[in-house]
Amino acid sequence: MTLHTSIASGIFVCLLGTLLSSLVGACGRSAGAHRISQILLALSNAIGALAALAFFFADTPVLPLIHLSLLFPTTLGLDHLSALFFLIVTGMSSVTALFAIHYVESERDTYNVRSLDCIAALFVLGMQMVPLTPSVAGFMLFWEVMSIASFFLVMADRKDASIKAAFLYLTMTQLGASALLAGFFLLGDGTIFPDFAALAQHARTASDDTILFAFALLFFGFGSKAGLVPFHLWLPEAHPRAPSHISALMSGVMLKIALYGFLRTVLFLLPPLPVIAGMAVLALGLLSGLLGVLHAVVDRDIKRTLAFSSIENLGLIFTMVGLSMIARANGLSVLAELALAAALFHAVNHAIFKTGLFLCAGAIVQGTHAHSLEAMGGLAKTMPRFTVAFCSLALAASALPPFGAFFGEWMFLEGIVGTLKEGGMMLQGLLLVALAAVVLISGLAIFAMVKLFAIACLGAPRSPGAAHAKEPAALLTAPLFALAILALGMGLLSPAVLSFLSPAHVGIVASRLPTVAVATGRLSPLTAFLALAAILLVCIMLVRMAWSGRRRLSHVWDCGQEVNAGMEYTATAFSAPIRFFFRFLLHHKTVVATPVVPTNPWIVRQSMTVHADTSIRFATIYGYVARILLWLSAQAKRLQNGIVQFYLLLMFLALVLSLIIAV
Amino acid sequence: MSVFVFFLQGTVVLLLAPLATGCVRWCKARFQGRHGASPFLPYVRFLTLLRKEMVIAETASWIFHAAPFVVLCTAVFVAFSLPLLTSAPPPGGLDNFILFAAILALGSVFLVLGGLDPGTAFGGMGASREMTLASLVEPAMITALAAFAVVSDNSAISGMLAAGGASLLQHPALVLSLVALGLVALAENARYPVDNPATHLELTMVHEAMILEYSGAYLAIIELASSIRLTVFALLLANLLVPFPLLATAISFSGALATIGATVAKLVIAMFLLALWESSIPKMRFYRMQEYLSGAFFIALAGLAFSLLSLP
Repeated sequence: MTLHTSIASGIFVCLLGTLLSSLVGACGRSAGAHRISQILLALSNAIGALAALAFFFADTPVLPLIHLSLLFPTTLGLDHLSALFFLIVTGMSSVTALFAIHYVESERDTYNVRSLDCIAALFVLGMQMVPLTPSVAGFMLFWEVMSIASFFLVMADRKDASIKAAFLYLTMTQLGASALLAGFFLLGDGTIFPDFAALAQHARTASDDTILFAFALLFFGFGSKAGLVPFHLWLPEAHPRAPSHISALMSGVMLKIALYGFLRTVLFLLPPLPVIAGMAVLALGLLSGLLGVLHAVVDRDIKRTLAFSSIENLGLIFTMVGLSMIARANGLSVLAELALAAALFHAVNHAIFKTGLFLCAGAIVQGTHAHSLEAMGGLAKTMPRFTVAFCSLALAASALPPFGAFFGEWMFLEGIVGTLKEGGMMLQGLLLVALAAVVLISGLAIFAMVKLFAIACLGAPRSPGAAHAKEPAALLTAPLFALAILALGMGLLSPAVLSFLSPAHVGIVASRLPTVAVATGRLSPLTAFLALAAILLVCIMLVRMAWSGRRRLSHVWDCGQEVNAGMEYTATAFSAPIRFFFRFLLHHKTVVATPVVPTNPWIVRQSMTVHADTSIRFATIYGYVARILLWLSAQAKRLQNGIVQFYLLLMFLALVLSLIIAV
Repeated sequence: MSVFVFFLQGTVVLLLAPLATGCVRWCKARFQGRHGASPFLPYVRFLTLLRKEMVIAETASWIFHAAPFVVLCTAVFVAFSLPLLTSAPPPGGLDNFILFAAILALGSVFLVLGGLDPGTAFGGMGASREMTLASLVEPAMITALAAFAVVSDNSAISGMLAAGGASLLQHPALVLSLVALGLVALAENARYPVDNPATHLELTMVHEAMILEYSGAYLAIIELASSIRLTVFALLLANLLVPFPLLATAISFSGALATIGATVAKLVIAMFLLALWESSIPKMRFYRMQEYLSGAFFIALAGLAFSLLSLP
């Protein structure tokens, strides 16, 4: 019992501390207030993370926290799914708050520190509360707190481009939220703001068409928040615009909240769905994965690359969830469990490495004053300590062993290969497509992350900013090392973590099937890591012993001509083969020819632009929708003719119409 | 005692690795009508390089020093863990096929980082090409090995040997996977038609361009690592075709001797065939590589699909 009360009080302390941090941030004028606010945020979230972690060891399926009777009567509580996501939110917020202490102080001229601290803490509070609230009204309320706080954070630097991105984000997120509300209303069958248990009751009696329609609405709502293609347009615009510690939270954590909402709906609220729903999720997941990773490969901006990589990773996670749904509908419980556990595990890993990478990007942008990878280079020489952390996080993001993300993908692929024999032809076909696409995506993800790290950090500096970059302060580097070690730890302890995340444990299936344990028993990450480390040490020792030559520093082999940074491979050059190989997807360059002399069309000056952005193509589709909307509103404007009698007639007609509908 | 067999295998592979490179060079020279250097020259070169002075670029950072060791480490790891001389499963499931692909990718990544670090155009060009190849070859490799995993019901490569050899006749679709694996092996080891290992002409280089800045002991390590990778792939393909004689966990002296002899024979035959292949085809233009890579990928996928159809 004491464990339960301490978990509950830990969560209360966390929530109160976050609220207090927001107040301190808003009221304090001095730099000290900013520090106190961030330390408070870090500490309270660390306590919250510990409490959520402790919940996994407390032997209880649901832990009620407090009963609210105001506004929407419900009981805030934790179950395993919400505890997992609460853990992600608090853990990552704690690390980013530590990073923000120094980071925001150095950016004092760009941002209004008081409002930034205040809104950032409110943003965290919204994300903490969403998984704790099992009722539609509360869920939507805190969902909106999260969305609107992040809307203000996107335009924190008050630049025109940021404001534009923020409004694009606001439009998409409000469209998504209204779809969510519509979906919940449809499921609730007329009851306004039921809690989730009542909603599930209603859903059980609803007709199949209603369920499918509600699912489509909810999937659009959560999918647009998670940045799934084709609803992803806002993500690469909005995420890079926010201050880096906020970008980290938006990419690493907020997208996971969208995933939480989707899982909560599919697993707990809706009755078992037909195969077609799972196929839709799988299809959008794979599409997002592929387009996301291709753009991450070819993009030149450090933060946009990371944003595209988030689309890719969320695509992978939704692929896993979609396959799990298909497997469940087909009665393949083993694959269903493995895929779901892999999705949850990948969500945790993505939170860790993406938060870390965005923080790295923040430190780099602060040090070099550049956003473009082309203007970086040479950082491994000027900030060696920092690049060790960056390199580990980039390796973790490329899903290479011994980091966590590899074992998530490994288990997913292992699950697919293990079930390929079972099921009918259609299912086998689906599994084959999923297998082929996922391995292709993970191969390209390696390329994207290597490009990100290598072009930013290796070679000679390509701009004065990069040449004069200094090693970031210890307060900035320490959180990065913490996250890198966490990513490694997730890899080494993956069997234990995965068994905690198995659906049986998370409370989704009643029986405790040992599937996940069996699967993870096939490969021991710890043995692999120890073997690699031992071989590495022996190699170094042997070579050191055998090597008797001297070392000399010299300039690079230059063929008799001086080599300068302008000859280096840039991000554009590095990704050229992929841009060429996938040119049917990334239509790739335009050549503009302008005649040197206007009268002579034969002698031209050619300029070439490399652009690899399919969002232009999506933007045209969105543009048509916008034009239709504008036309409709122009027509509606005619109603506004200023004649009072006409307005009275309209009101009367509206009254009659609503009476007819009501009766 | 069971671990001993893996140490024996690792040592034998490490010792044989330079011979593989020497062998293929010697055979190629003979095919081209030259006398050719002794197949044992790579051993001498390795020892010479270890004693030479290293010239390190001024622009190089810690990555440049770390890369050769990581590359060697990944190569040695696969030499120890895969079923090359033994068919016994290593402890901890270290011969899992997805882990195998990922470890090779890890080695390629560090080679690429090492190539980019000095900041020369040559290094960047090689690195960009190598990274493209590595990231597009990985899917083909996983898909090809997945077919063996499905047929043999085992995701460890040591278990997949059961689907090789004579049982290839029962599952003829696996031949497609084997072909795909061969194409993958050529790409992974920078051989024809993907890369020309004997040239320093910038239009054709991939692997050689990347390691241009390395000298002395580091170059020795990287060359040893590539030889080990070549040996591992050769023996792996040979064992999937002819999965005997292999050692079990309990080994006898005569058994070990027979296996080592057979391994040398397999390696020499494989290198002869590789030299024959390299002497009879031209290198492909790099910007046509997507045809080769997607070819390998779809052959592997077809192998997997057809072997699924052929299963009961």
